[in-house]
Amino acid sequence: MGILDRLRSLGKPQTEVKEKKVVLIGLDGTPYTLLKQFCADGTMPNLAKIAANSSLRQMDVSIPEVSSTSWTCFYTGMNPAQHGIFGFLDLQPNSYKIYFPNSKSVKAPALWDVLGNYGKRSVVINVPETYPAKPLNGALISGFVATDLKKATYPPELLPTLMELEYRLDPDAQKARESKDAFLADIYDVFEKRRKTILHLFDQEKWSLFIGTITETDRLHHFMWDALVDKNHPYHNGFLDFYRRVDGLIGEVYDRLDSNTTFMMCSDHGFTSIEQQVYLNYWLKDNGYLKFTSESPKSVEEIAPGTRAFAMDPTRIYINLKGKYPQGAVEPGEEYEHLRREIAEGLRAITYQGKPVIKKVFMKEEVFRGPLMQQAPDLIVLSNYGFDMKGSTNKQTLMDREIFTGMHTQDDAHFLINRKDINEKKPHICDIAPTIMKELGIVIPSDVTGVALT
Amino acid sequence: MSQKGFTLWFTGLSGAGKTTLAHIVEAEMRRRNLKIEILDGDVVRTNLSKGLGFSKEDRDTNIRRIGFVCHLLSRNGVAAISAAISPYREIRDEVRKMIGDFVEVYVHCPLEVCAKRDVKGLYAKAMSGEIPVFTGVSDPYEEPLNPEVLVDSSKETPEESAQKILKKLEELGYLPKTDEVYSEEEEEEVKRRLEELGYF
Repeated sequence: MGILDRLRSLGKPQTEVKEKKVVLIGLDGTPYTLLKQFCADGTMPNLAKIAANSSLRQMDVSIPEVSSTSWTCFYTGMNPAQHGIFGFLDLQPNSYKIYFPNSKSVKAPALWDVLGNYGKRSVVINVPETYPAKPLNGALISGFVATDLKKATYPPELLPTLMELEYRLDPDAQKARESKDAFLADIYDVFEKRRKTILHLFDQEKWSLFIGTITETDRLHHFMWDALVDKNHPYHNGFLDFYRRVDGLIGEVYDRLDSNTTFMMCSDHGFTSIEQQVYLNYWLKDNGYLKFTSESPKSVEEIAPGTRAFAMDPTRIYINLKGKYPQGAVEPGEEYEHLRREIAEGLRAITYQGKPVIKKVFMKEEVFRGPLMQQAPDLIVLSNYGFDMKGSTNKQTLMDREIFTGMHTQDDAHFLINRKDINEKKPHICDIAPTIMKELGIVIPSDVTGVALT
Repeated sequence: MSQKGFTLWFTGLSGAGKTTLAHIVEAEMRRRNLKIEILDGDVVRTNLSKGLGFSKEDRDTNIRRIGFVCHLLSRNGVAAISAAISPYREIRDEVRKMIGDFVEVYVHCPLEVCAKRDVKGLYAKAMSGEIPVFTGVSDPYEEPLNPEVLVDSSKETPEESAQKILKKLEELGYLPKTDEVYSEEEEEEVKRRLEELGYF
């Protein structure tokens, strides 16, 4: 066949197959147990109706259970030693200098990049750890910690629409310290604008994958979890009312779906009440493992020579290893292993009013696997419910309370898919990306940590 | 730092994706505060080169005109982007010599794929003989021998190709690097927001 014949034969019509689609609503920090409660007590009637014909499951997330790490696990299907995001802050190689990991620090391909290779379009709204917005086949508005809407928007042509919709990146958490009324009003305002934007892009854009994430839930939980727990709290109804609005959005999205679309929901961690905040760096200092150059250091950048271990938010402990850090004081090998065991043992012994504070101390090789193991914290702590681990460096006490009333949990996130049977009894956040790929008929890359749930 | 002008010269078959890539790259360059002008082959032929045909001589003239405008823009600190087939190697090299700060991007795509896409319906016309002279079908396309960037639009997504181009521009010093995502001011803002949530 000559070139012209071959070219002519390319124009033949092909049978049209209706394309599969996936919609996912993300609710940052919304626990499985809370959704179950709200389905049962009538706070979330739309969700209750959907859940009746779906699998709504409790889900584990990665450790540490913070949004930056967890959402990156969500959108890569990989664990932190593969994607490189271990927290909201990290240290630059061979230094104690802090940097803020961002979308450019993520070392694994995002779900939407994989879909893009198959010509599939994604719309991604407000997923944390996607700032600055990188080009993709589709549209993306970055989530926390995005600071500039222009840099948070791809393609740039979307910006005027967002301005018109008065889209806001994040509520102002500072308001929580000034007035709870003002804080709630701000959360409602951001949510309303986000809701409008989600529905607008849902209707106006072409997509195979649509992700709309609400992060106001997490902010509400951090500062007002007490209002949920205490039915007589003056803001109890204000808290519930926010979830009624979220339920409204879930209903509005669900009503738009056709039979080719899979509906999913998930969170990046759960929440529970804080009993005490616990400061790991204080404990390390108090036990002689950590020294600072000043009385009230602002960060781990002020580490003094002789330091053997330090912590970074929220539960990551790093051994000050020779060869890895400029003032490394611990020899790799037996000294390193001995120190890890010693610290783990010491931490396990911490109690508060007779209760153990720490549930488990993991060695890094127990929770991470991948090419970035070197970057991983050497020890990682999982606390018992009620004990919120912090990486603060200037505390003069092991435990106290601040303004926060809610803390993250690792084993009570949620996952929902609108079908009755799924493979895993308790899914893991890394399972979502491969599940979406499978739903969309895409080959799942062999190196993902998670497994497809359908 | 003042911007150094240069010309980003896309070349490749009709339908290979030059214009698409030019616009993606343009968006990212604007985001990094560069001054940019795109000279799109199809647009140029409706004004700057209006009246020119597709004989070798007319095509050479068309490319020389685009090259000349790119030269003027580049020397005045603008990033000029040309997205035209520019099929002949000799003229491309002539333009390269004139401009100096010249980055050639070969948008490779097999003829069959371009013809299958046929976004403008030109391949159909070329095959039916309605367009007598058409690059790749009835007129040669001379591949660049040593382009600064080689992308393959039949194997890569436009976004992947754009990343390759942007990376090369960073390497060559024409595009400010964005490893520093946050300016000092923004970094303070990030710290403040993390602090408010108890993360810092």
